[in-house]
Amino acid sequence: MFLEINDLSVKIENKNILKGLNLNINKGEVHAIMGPNGCGKSTLANVLAGKEDYEILNGRINFKGNNLFDLNIEERAQEGMFLAFQYPVEIPGVNITPFLHSAINSKRKRMNEEEIDNLSFAKLLKSKASDLGINIDMLKRSVNTGFSGGEKKRYEILQMSILNPDLAILDETDSGLDIDALKIVTDGVNKLKTKDNSYLIITHYQKLLDYIKPDYVHIMVNGSIVKSGGSEIAAEIEKDGFQKFQ
Amino acid sequence: MSIQENYLKNKKNIFFSENKDIQNHREKLINIFENDRFDKKNNESLKNINLKNFIDFKYKYLIPEETSVINNNQENSYSIVSVNGQCSNFKDDKIEITRILDKDYNDFSKNNSIENNDYFINLNSLFLNSGFKIIIKKNNNIKIKISNIITDDYLTIFQKNNYICEDGSSLNLIEEYENKNNSTSNILNVIKLEKNSQLNHFLIQDNSPNHNLIITSHSSCKKDSTYNQKVYNFSEGYVRNFHYSELIEPNSEADLQGIFFLKDDNTSNNKTFVKHLAEDCKSNQVYKGILNDRSKATYFSNTHVDQVAQKTEGYQLSKGILLSDNASYFSKPELKIYADDVKCSHGSTIGPIDENAIFYLRSRGMSKIAATKILISSFINEELSSIDNEQMSELIQKKLVRYLSKVK
Repeated sequence: MFLEINDLSVKIENKNILKGLNLNINKGEVHAIMGPNGCGKSTLANVLAGKEDYEILNGRINFKGNNLFDLNIEERAQEGMFLAFQYPVEIPGVNITPFLHSAINSKRKRMNEEEIDNLSFAKLLKSKASDLGINIDMLKRSVNTGFSGGEKKRYEILQMSILNPDLAILDETDSGLDIDALKIVTDGVNKLKTKDNSYLIITHYQKLLDYIKPDYVHIMVNGSIVKSGGSEIAAEIEKDGFQKFQ
Repeated sequence: MSIQENYLKNKKNIFFSENKDIQNHREKLINIFENDRFDKKNNESLKNINLKNFIDFKYKYLIPEETSVINNNQENSYSIVSVNGQCSNFKDDKIEITRILDKDYNDFSKNNSIENNDYFINLNSLFLNSGFKIIIKKNNNIKIKISNIITDDYLTIFQKNNYICEDGSSLNLIEEYENKNNSTSNILNVIKLEKNSQLNHFLIQDNSPNHNLIITSHSSCKKDSTYNQKVYNFSEGYVRNFHYSELIEPNSEADLQGIFFLKDDNTSNNKTFVKHLAEDCKSNQVYKGILNDRSKATYFSNTHVDQVAQKTEGYQLSKGILLSDNASYFSKPELKIYADDVKCSHGSTIGPIDENAIFYLRSRGMSKIAATKILISSFINEELSSIDNEQMSELIQKKLVRYLSKVK
C-alpha cells in the first residue's frame, strides 16, 4: 500500500475536524475526494503535508512503508509527497528559480542522489515551464507574488513537475480557474501521471474530474468518508448535491 | 562621577572651553543635567535606554598619536581614517577637510534646534572633544569612505562633524563603525546641502557588545537637493540612530532607510524628524528590523508638514520581524500636516515570521531553519538589492550571513 490512512481523528482549536477517516491509495492510482464546504478535505491535505496546527487524536498514516507522523514537513516532501495549495502563499523577495533549485536538491540529497547544478536546473526549469505554457519571465519573479489565480495554480503544477512527487495532493486546484486555465492545469497534471505516482484530488465539482479521470471517488462528509466508488459517484453528486449524504 | 564634576575636571581637554559665550551656554546645560530638568514626558532620547551608563561615566579622551590618513587613491575618491574622532587636514581643488579648531566655535559650538531636550546632543555639546569639517566644492562628484576607529578601551568620544555640499556637488559617503573595545562614541553630523547637490550617506555599524554608538545627524536641504541616508546596523552593542531633516527650499528630498539586525540583549533606538518647510518636497522613510532573543528596538518617526509646504509627499514605513517571544519592537510613526495639498502615509507592521510561508517552503523540502533564513533575507531583499556599490553590497551580505548563522 502506498498511502494507508487508518481511523484518523484530528482536531484544531478544540474543534474535531476529521473523525475516524480511512483511505487507502495504491501506487499509480488517482483518487478524488469530494465533499461540501467545511467537511475536512483541506484539513486532510494539510495533515498529510505535516502542518503543525492540528492535533492528532487518533489513527495512523503509513506512506511508502513509513509512519508519516515520524516525518516532519520537509522530510515528507523529500520522501515524495507534494501538496498543491488551494491558496498558494505569496512570498515577496524569494525568487522562484533558486527556491525551486534548492527544493529539488534537498530531495535529491535525501535520496542520496547527486545534486543538480545551476545550468542543468535552468534547462530543466525552462523545459518544464514551456510544457505548461508558463512564460520564462515569470521565473524571474518572486514566489506567487503578484500572480493571478490561474498563474498561481499553474506555478504549483510547475513545482510539482520539477519535484516529480510520488504522491501529489491537489487541494481544490480548480478553484478560481476559468475554463482555459483549468484545461492548462489539468493537461499538465495528466502529462505527469505515470504508473509509479499517485494522486489525491480534492474538489467540490465534477468539472475537474472530467479532465483528470479518477480511479476512485470518495464522498467526505463531517470528517469521514461516507461513500466510495468509481467516477459515477461524481456524476451523482453533480446531479443531487451532497445533501443526501449528510 | 557627576556630569558637572566630569566637565570641570576635564574642561581643558574639551573644545571651546575658554570661550565665554560657550561657557555660559554649557553652564546652562550642566544646570539641566544636575537638576534633572529634562522634560521626560515623550522625550524620545530617554526611552528604551539604561541612562545610568551615560550619566555615571568617566570622561576619558586620548588625542591620537598617529596622524590619520587620507588617500586620494583614485580620481574623486578619498579614504579617511578617523581615529578617536579626528582626521588629518586635506585640501585640493575638489574637497577640503579640516579638523575642528578653536576658531571654528561658531560652526561647532551650538546645536540649536536639535539640542533642545535631547539628552545625548546636550552631552555632545558639553563634552565636545573631536570632529572635522568636510566641504565638497561646487559641481564636484566625490566618493569618500570613512573608517571610524577608537584606539583604547573606556574612551568617551564626543564628536561633531560638519558636511557642506556646495552647489551642484554630489557626495557618496560610506562610514564604517567596527569597534571592538569598551568605549562610547557620541557623534553629531551636521549636513548642509546647497542648491542642486546630493549626499548619499551609508552607515555600516558593526561594533562589539560593549561599544555604545550614539549617532545623531541633522541635514538641511536647499532647492533641488537630496539627502539619502542608509543605515545597516549589525552591532552587538547599543546603537542609537537619530536623524533630523529639514527640507527648507522647494523640490528638495530626504530619503531615509534603516535596517537593523539584533540579537541577545541588544537595543537599537531609531528616530527621525523630518520637517517639510517648502513646497514640492519629498521625504520617504523605510525602517526594518529583525530582532532575535531578548533584543529591543524603537522607531519614533515624525513628519511635520508646514502650511507653506504644498505638494508635499511624505511617506513613513516600518516593519519588524520578531524571531523570539522575548524580542520587542516599538514603532510610532506620526504625521503632522498643516498644508492641504499633500500626499502622506504612514504604516507599521511588526510580528513573528509568517508561519504560512514557512509551511509552504518546508512543504517543498526546505528545512525549517533554511526557510526561516530565506524569509529573513527576502524581508530586506528590496533594500539590499538596491545597493549599487558592489563592494558594499558584498560587505553587507557577508554580515547578513554571519547574523543568519546565529539564527536557530
